[in-house]
Amino acid sequence: MAKALSIGPATAAPTVARRSAVRWLSYAFFVAALLFAAVAAALGDVFFFRLATESLIFGGLALSVDLLLGRTGLLPLGQALFFGFGAYVSALTLKHLAPSLPLALAVVLASCTLVGLIGGLIAIRAKGVYFALISFGLAQVVSKIVFNTRELGASDGLIGVPAPVIHLGVANLDTAHAPTFFLLVLGGMALLLALLMRLMDTPFGRQLDAIRTNEHRLAFLGFDPWRYKLAAFVLAADIAALSGALYPMLRGFVSPELMFFQVSGNAVINVIVGGSGSFVGALYGSALLTALKSVVGSFTAHHAIVIGALFVVSVIFFPRGLVGYLAPALQRLWSRR
Amino acid sequence: MLDWLQFVLAPQVVNGLSIGVAVVLMALGLTIIFGLLDVINMAHGEFYAIGAYAALALIGVGLPFWWALALTPLLMAVVGYAAERALIQRVFHSKDRHTLTLLLTFGIGIILEDLLKIAFGANPLRIEPPITGATEMFGLFFPNYRLFLMASGAAVIAAVWVVAFRTRLGAMVRAAAFDRNMAASLGVPVSTVYAGTFAFGVALAGLSGVLLAPIYSVFPTMGRDFVLIAFSVVIIGGMGSIKGAVIAGLLLTQAQSISSLVISPVWSDPLLFGIMVLVLMWRPHGLFGRLGHG
Amino acid sequence: MIDAILQVRDLTVRFGSLVAVNGVGFDAQRGHITAVIGPNGAGKSSLFNLVSGAVRPSAGQVLLEGRDVTGASPERMLAAGLSRSFQITNLFFELPVRENLRLAAQFVEGGRGLLRHVSASRAAAQRVDELIERFALQARANELAGFLSHGEQRRLEIAVALAARPRLLLLDEPTQGMSHADTQDTAALISGLADEGLSILLVEHDVDLVMNLSDHVVVMHQGAKLAEGRPEAVRADPVVQSAYFGEAAHA
Repeated sequence: MAKALSIGPATAAPTVARRSAVRWLSYAFFVAALLFAAVAAALGDVFFFRLATESLIFGGLALSVDLLLGRTGLLPLGQALFFGFGAYVSALTLKHLAPSLPLALAVVLASCTLVGLIGGLIAIRAKGVYFALISFGLAQVVSKIVFNTRELGASDGLIGVPAPVIHLGVANLDTAHAPTFFLLVLGGMALLLALLMRLMDTPFGRQLDAIRTNEHRLAFLGFDPWRYKLAAFVLAADIAALSGALYPMLRGFVSPELMFFQVSGNAVINVIVGGSGSFVGALYGSALLTALKSVVGSFTAHHAIVIGALFVVSVIFFPRGLVGYLAPALQRLWSRR
Repeated sequence: MLDWLQFVLAPQVVNGLSIGVAVVLMALGLTIIFGLLDVINMAHGEFYAIGAYAALALIGVGLPFWWALALTPLLMAVVGYAAERALIQRVFHSKDRHTLTLLLTFGIGIILEDLLKIAFGANPLRIEPPITGATEMFGLFFPNYRLFLMASGAAVIAAVWVVAFRTRLGAMVRAAAFDRNMAASLGVPVSTVYAGTFAFGVALAGLSGVLLAPIYSVFPTMGRDFVLIAFSVVIIGGMGSIKGAVIAGLLLTQAQSISSLVISPVWSDPLLFGIMVLVLMWRPHGLFGRLGHG
Repeated sequence: MIDAILQVRDLTVRFGSLVAVNGVGFDAQRGHITAVIGPNGAGKSSLFNLVSGAVRPSAGQVLLEGRDVTGASPERMLAAGLSRSFQITNLFFELPVRENLRLAAQFVEGGRGLLRHVSASRAAAQRVDELIERFALQARANELAGFLSHGEQRRLEIAVALAARPRLLLLDEPTQGMSHADTQDTAALISGLADEGLSILLVEHDVDLVMNLSDHVVVMHQGAKLAEGRPEAVRADPVVQSAYFGEAAHA
């Protein structure tokens, strides 16, 4: 099973036309998000703002999965490990150091790069399915340890995390203010998305696509795939952790559940349903599934079954995901005009 | 010293053996499914849980434990067969088979877990051990149920071994694992063999669930924790190797069992996982070869 | 005195009890086309794998431009100036032709510009254009490599191996599966490359092609070197004839 895991033609280095379709869908996402914000603000809503922010935060986690799965060809089943790590470190920083958003992000970035490096050194040696299982195992093991560590609040986690305020010269941005935080996180995700898309147009990013399509040949082209995979792993860990760092700012607490398999699994589902390899698909997937969970959740606690069923259907009948089918469809529409 | 051996170490070894046998059954199912179908059954833990719940349900309607023990694997085999034909076969022939089957079984696992929650609730349930009391041997008392578990588990493992390596059926399955097309052209009904093998693997997981249910409690996420051990065993033993699953399964459960004398139970899984990582670094394909290839 | 770009000394590899390559030694001269021929199972592919760094030898030496590269990894081989193509087409099928070439050409940049936009690398872009031109792939440059015809893929396979400007090019059955016309075109291409000073080591099944194209021929049989010399000499050698053509006669 040395073959790199891959999803399908939609994740190939896109032709020029498809790229503009994906780009258009990316703009559409943020435009839709801004429209949502306008409507929700007008209605004085708080609940949906927070829900949407949460979907964006988990969307960030899904982005990290897409970098690995959709582009590099590695299936991570334990990305929640880094998400939860970021959440805990952020919570501890905000509570015990200073309620500063930039500080929390900086501490998370620095610490997670180190942790990601260690995790990567362990996991990257493994190929294909072994990587998936090792990442799964790592997350299981660490989450269990955190669950049992009294200093970290054990099963209750950490509560009472203050929501930081960003002091800009002209104004203060209070993350406790739901619409403000939503826009902040939205901006962050937009930046992240732009950076990731730009990254894939650099020689480094293209190597990742090459690893996904034919890792074996790369050594003969003079490149050691191991280094690139490790770098991608650390980058993905950082993205997951930075997304997780935002969680305690939104909800005021963190708990070991954030590291559980459920979270890793949902991230993978978001990517597949949204369309792997496109990056924005991860955000669409997260939004779609958050909405679905919310709707189903109002009827029954058993939303997992609905999500699971949707996912199974998606894998069997629509493996390329939402963006994976919309983008070519848009392309065809445009070329007909 | 002798006292320590007799009263501290020996019970742990016996404990480890009884759990080990069940772990081996589960790992066998997983490794056989991978060895033949090249499918990582991410839902294996959930099938294990379903086995325990099925037994619970059968006992609930009045059947004695022994009937539940005999019937559950058969039920599981049917479920497994249906799942393979209805779902897994659909993605089997795609180019991205490995990812898709992994994701598919992962999705199936999520559905199954929630189904269990719906059907039985989230609270842990218990099955009373069908055999109580203990037998005295070598100056120690061994719980009878554990003795039964070891004996019956060992019998099943031996049976699997015999079927796999000493019968025509086993030869057919191994041929199909080694070279699908060749086997098909030799008249082996490959699709049926695949579905049947998956069913068999799932039945083993279910059997493991029934056997362990009187020892551990039964709750919907029981599979999630247990499957990590099973995966570790399979990876260490070599994915697809029956011999590997047996040896690694027994050794690792012993390691866990004995180590619990010196370290807290919290570190038991990390220990196992650490061993797995080390083995993978030293021998990336596990200790032994692969079904059909070994 | 022309110098040897590649020197193989007593090269041996064992897979379990099978000795696939047994004490093979020869020189490949700079600027020449050296061909390795032999019946099926002679060990040609294994020899290629040993020289290109895909497999570690059990014994023996490989010297590239006088430097010992025995057992070096494929990346180090390429850095030392050796590149190879594959018998079974080994392209990035899901990527466009242009991207296949760009990936291979990126090597000329070393580790520089890793995070700059791909278009920023002039050297690589120029190389890609050159290769597309030379290998007549203009019409298909933006197609996914998987959609090319077999002959086009085999050409691309060579182009990719060439992109990093190696000094020694290993071609593993480059015309495998090609039509007669394609084969002739490829032969002309290979000959042209050698005229420009590139050293080529070639494994081929098409004996006529080899005889017309190469400057030096090494004959392998059952893992060992049977004979070597100029094409005409090898062709006339009765030992070679019975081992190689004799097998065909008995088949």
